[in-house]
Amino acid sequence: MIRVQDLTVCVPGFVLDRITFTVPEGGLGIVTGPTGAGKTTLIETIAGVRRAGDGTIMLGSADVTQAPPEHRDVGLVYQSAWLFPHLSVRGNVAYGARRAAASGELIERLQIVPLLDKPVLTLSGGERQLVALARALAREPRTLLLDEPFAAMDSALRGQIRSTVLAWATEFGATTLLVTHDTLEAIHDGSVQIRIEAGRVRSAS
Amino acid sequence: MSRAVGRWVLQPIGVLLASVLLLLLILPVGTLVSGAGLRGIASALVERDVLRAILLTVLSATAATLLAIAGGLPVAYLLARVPFRGRGVVEALLELPLVIPHPVIGMALILSMGRNSTLGHALAPLGLSVVSSPLGIVVAMLAVSAPLFILGAREAIARVDVRLESVARTLGDDRLQAVRRVTLPLARNGIVTASTAMWARATSEFGAIVLVTYHPRVAAVLAYDRYLTYGLSAALPVAGALVCVALLILLMLRFVRRPDIA
Repeated sequence: MIRVQDLTVCVPGFVLDRITFTVPEGGLGIVTGPTGAGKTTLIETIAGVRRAGDGTIMLGSADVTQAPPEHRDVGLVYQSAWLFPHLSVRGNVAYGARRAAASGELIERLQIVPLLDKPVLTLSGGERQLVALARALAREPRTLLLDEPFAAMDSALRGQIRSTVLAWATEFGATTLLVTHDTLEAIHDGSVQIRIEAGRVRSAS
Repeated sequence: MSRAVGRWVLQPIGVLLASVLLLLLILPVGTLVSGAGLRGIASALVERDVLRAILLTVLSATAATLLAIAGGLPVAYLLARVPFRGRGVVEALLELPLVIPHPVIGMALILSMGRNSTLGHALAPLGLSVVSSPLGIVVAMLAVSAPLFILGAREAIARVDVRLESVARTLGDDRLQAVRRVTLPLARNGIVTASTAMWARATSEFGAIVLVTYHPRVAAVLAYDRYLTYGLSAALPVAGALVCVALLILLMLRFVRRPDIA
């Protein structure tokens, strides 16, 4: 479960103002909103890489508002992937894996076997996102935070990978929060829809 | 501005100015080495006093650089990553030794750490003295050249995007592990360059050391002493030997660098 209550975050020139929503345990939350609305700030604050000014963040039954990222059990995937350029594709995927077998399984499921020997810096945007997804999932986190992780993939691959990732989340019981600009991607049965505009929740259902 | 002006006027002027600059850099050192002569340098390199001075210089500069790395990396990280009130003042204080004359730093060291200072009194029962000792040489080298390392390392760390560290922390690393596994490997070349610059600056230090520790003599003080006592021709082989040793070590350090990760 992700429960965000009256969350306020101040960053230079921007305030995320009293954000409140709940995504049930094992559920999917979809965050939409225009550019600059505060979607990435929200995801980063839930991940713990950005400090919350006020309010509370519950992940499962734990209040993690003041906890460092490594104690939150979250997987974070940015739109820009942010792969470690000094490591191989295999090294990236295995970086935080709790089980050695997990990275191998993800490499198979996300079809990145042909990329394993490529230098990270030669990968295309879509390939980088695949590796970043595999890296986050290989840790088998309880909460998955995805900031437009399919944006750089072509439309055919996007649907396929999106299904694979959401199936993985269901299999492991992970609660997922997905940020997207794609209106089609935002349509998902049973998901919690969160619309953010100018740092405020406009609707949550 | 037309292409012709660029090609026939600006380009030659640029080449001329670059040549003059390179000549200004190379000419004095080249003249010094050729004046000393290979035979003179070789005989200086087997002279006991010269060898001892070069060894003392190299070891002291290495010790100062290692101390700066151990103490300076956390400071560099703090300056690169953590916004805090007064950061500008800390940075200005760090840059101060780069702009004030080094004999003034020597005087400040004698005042603050000399035998009559509080620190000097505290060190005396331990058999340690900053004045006229190898410790004084290391302290003087640290005082004048550690800022070069800290400021260079700060730039190298700042160039590594903080989001890479953030991702590493969501993958289970605490801050220290993320720095060790992600930030430092990516900032490695910049840190090596900063260490090299500091080591080179420490090796060539004279102004602060000559006040704090005339004896035992580092190579720069020995060359100066020979010049004062016996004249230029007697100092040349020592100076030439120092140039050759420094060049050799700098060339070796270049091999430590790995190709940059774009």
